[in-house]
Amino acid sequence: MSSSSHAGIQSIAEYVPAKVASVGELHERGLLRGSPDTLRSFGFETVHLAGEESNIDMAIAAAEKVLEESEIDREEIGMILYAAALNSSSTLWDGNGGSPNGSVLQLESVPDLFKYPASIIQTELDLPNASVVGINQLGCASIFAALRMARALIVAEDDLKSVLCVSADKFPAGRHRDLAYNIVSDGACAALVCRGADRNRIVECTQVTKGALWDSEEIENEIIAAYFPTAKALVERTLAKAGLKMDDIALIVPHNVALRSWEILGRLIGCPADRIYTENIARVGHTIGSDNLLNLRCATESGRIEKGDYLLLFTFGYGSNWACMIVQH
Amino acid sequence: MREQSIFLTGATGAVGSELLRNLAARKGLTINVLVRRTDREPCERVKTLLGDLDVTAKLNVLEGDVCAGPSLGLDNAAVGSLQRETTHIIHAAGSTSFGLALPDARAANVWGSRNVLDFARSCASLECGAFLSTVYVSGKRRGDFAESDYGDAGHGFVNSYEQSKAEMEEMVREAMNELPLILVRLSIVVGDSATGRVSRFNAIHHAIRLFYTGLAPMIPGEPAGPVDMVSSDFVAAGVLQLLENGPSPGVFHLAAGRESCSSLEELVDETMSALARFRPEWRKRSVEKPLIVDLDTYELFVRSVEETGNPVLQGATRSIRTFAYQLAHPKVFETERAAAALAWGGISPQPSLAFYPRVIKYCLESNWGMRPC
Repeated sequence: MSSSSHAGIQSIAEYVPAKVASVGELHERGLLRGSPDTLRSFGFETVHLAGEESNIDMAIAAAEKVLEESEIDREEIGMILYAAALNSSSTLWDGNGGSPNGSVLQLESVPDLFKYPASIIQTELDLPNASVVGINQLGCASIFAALRMARALIVAEDDLKSVLCVSADKFPAGRHRDLAYNIVSDGACAALVCRGADRNRIVECTQVTKGALWDSEEIENEIIAAYFPTAKALVERTLAKAGLKMDDIALIVPHNVALRSWEILGRLIGCPADRIYTENIARVGHTIGSDNLLNLRCATESGRIEKGDYLLLFTFGYGSNWACMIVQH
Repeated sequence: MREQSIFLTGATGAVGSELLRNLAARKGLTINVLVRRTDREPCERVKTLLGDLDVTAKLNVLEGDVCAGPSLGLDNAAVGSLQRETTHIIHAAGSTSFGLALPDARAANVWGSRNVLDFARSCASLECGAFLSTVYVSGKRRGDFAESDYGDAGHGFVNSYEQSKAEMEEMVREAMNELPLILVRLSIVVGDSATGRVSRFNAIHHAIRLFYTGLAPMIPGEPAGPVDMVSSDFVAAGVLQLLENGPSPGVFHLAAGRESCSSLEELVDETMSALARFRPEWRKRSVEKPLIVDLDTYELFVRSVEETGNPVLQGATRSIRTFAYQLAHPKVFETERAAAALAWGGISPQPSLAFYPRVIKYCLESNWGMRPC
């Protein structure tokens, strides 16, 4: 494949708030619906909680970091894809006059709904040639859709060389942080998808949407029951589309849901536990949309990945969406 | 069966009720039915079972209980009369619940059978006594299980039902030295082959419901592993044929056997396909086909569900696990003896998948027994 006909994730950066809380502390503060013992036995220990920083602050911090580290000419960025599960407009921004605690329930004026994070990021980071698109309604799988679209647009449009994908979510203040037996952290990530990238070539992207499961509160049990069969089917379909087998995958880069669920899914898809990067589940928790890129960066820095390795990224988002991606490092 | 007097226990159960309907429509036959009192009168219970059936046999409903000692809860006069006239016994009473504690399962299936055996010993004209058992006395054995085989061979049992039935068989086998008895081991009885009608909903039907509601993400087993199911009409015809003409003593399997069983994967596929066929709007729910997984993976999943404390998912997994562990010990039930004994009557099991979809349709239309159908 020539360097100009493919796209890859050239650079990744993340932002997680400095403030950390243990499972026990969350329980004491009334921020857990379920048993702390169960959540610990599922592999969770601590999560990161945003303080003063808003979702946009976090997004800008991650994006600024990825731009600096990649040393890219900012004028080359042709598009920003802003992917969020919870905070699709700046109404949810708790800084600079926005809603004080990041809750949409605090909406005070309709025009606030048009204050979009992507535009704010574009101007704050001085990316004059970047048009912006917001991606939402896929829950934690939103960033996968952003990466998929970035790749497709780069392949389709000759003059588009680099797309900045950003995801950031700040959980509503004072709400239970455990969802479907996972604990949610605040955080953001940014990825630079570039034409002809010399790493993380995006080989295949797939997604399954089960619209019947849209009401995540009412039919949570059905969603939990659907999780494993659908995940297995999607992983197998993605491998088949890429012409690969599970043995070809050097590492699975997961979303940070319960370690136990990865033990089960690993068995179902025939992937041994030592080929699933689960190091951040206990320490970071589930950052909505930023888990996989955060883990990809950590796995890369830890030396777990070698040039040419095939990596499988997988996530699930309420809505209900399952997403899978194979990249070649 | 002319000039015969049949003593039937368990007539209100899934198999017993089929036997009763079959016998009641015959002529020149006396049927003495032992029925427990529940919140309803025994006669009323039997009348409900028979519905608008044209009863041509002489039918006596006796209030009693196989667990009530050697007299079976009957008065001396009734016992004496039965002892004189009974030519055949069908002992179908017992508990088919998979979730009972072993002492309770024994009370229903072992001690009740001991009382019926004592009664059989006192019957002067007994020609044959049929004790209904289950092919799953084989427990956790794998591979072929012949009619000449007994028990779990040290592999253990999946549930107390299997163990109590195996213990019952030991007792009956001993009694075969002195009495004309047959043991009839039944496979999983799912419903009528023609109409799909289910007289008593069991764990299999509950599993179909969990598939329907999307609360069964996985079941243990091997995709190619055999699953043996039979129809209630085959079982009823088979039991009566064996009672009348089967060599006694003997052990017989009323099972689909190698030729008529399906694989677990075929069964799961057919379940999903039939649900979509008979309830087209169900497709919109996008329920994924349950996975067939190894036992370790299933147990890990069950343990996780238990840890969550989620009552809905716990209920679903508990409902499946009482029988589903049997799927992880696949076996084929040989039916040589039964096939030979039933051949001249033209009785043979239909392939499971030929009638199973009708049972699913009945489950849907009756809303698992909640709606008249």
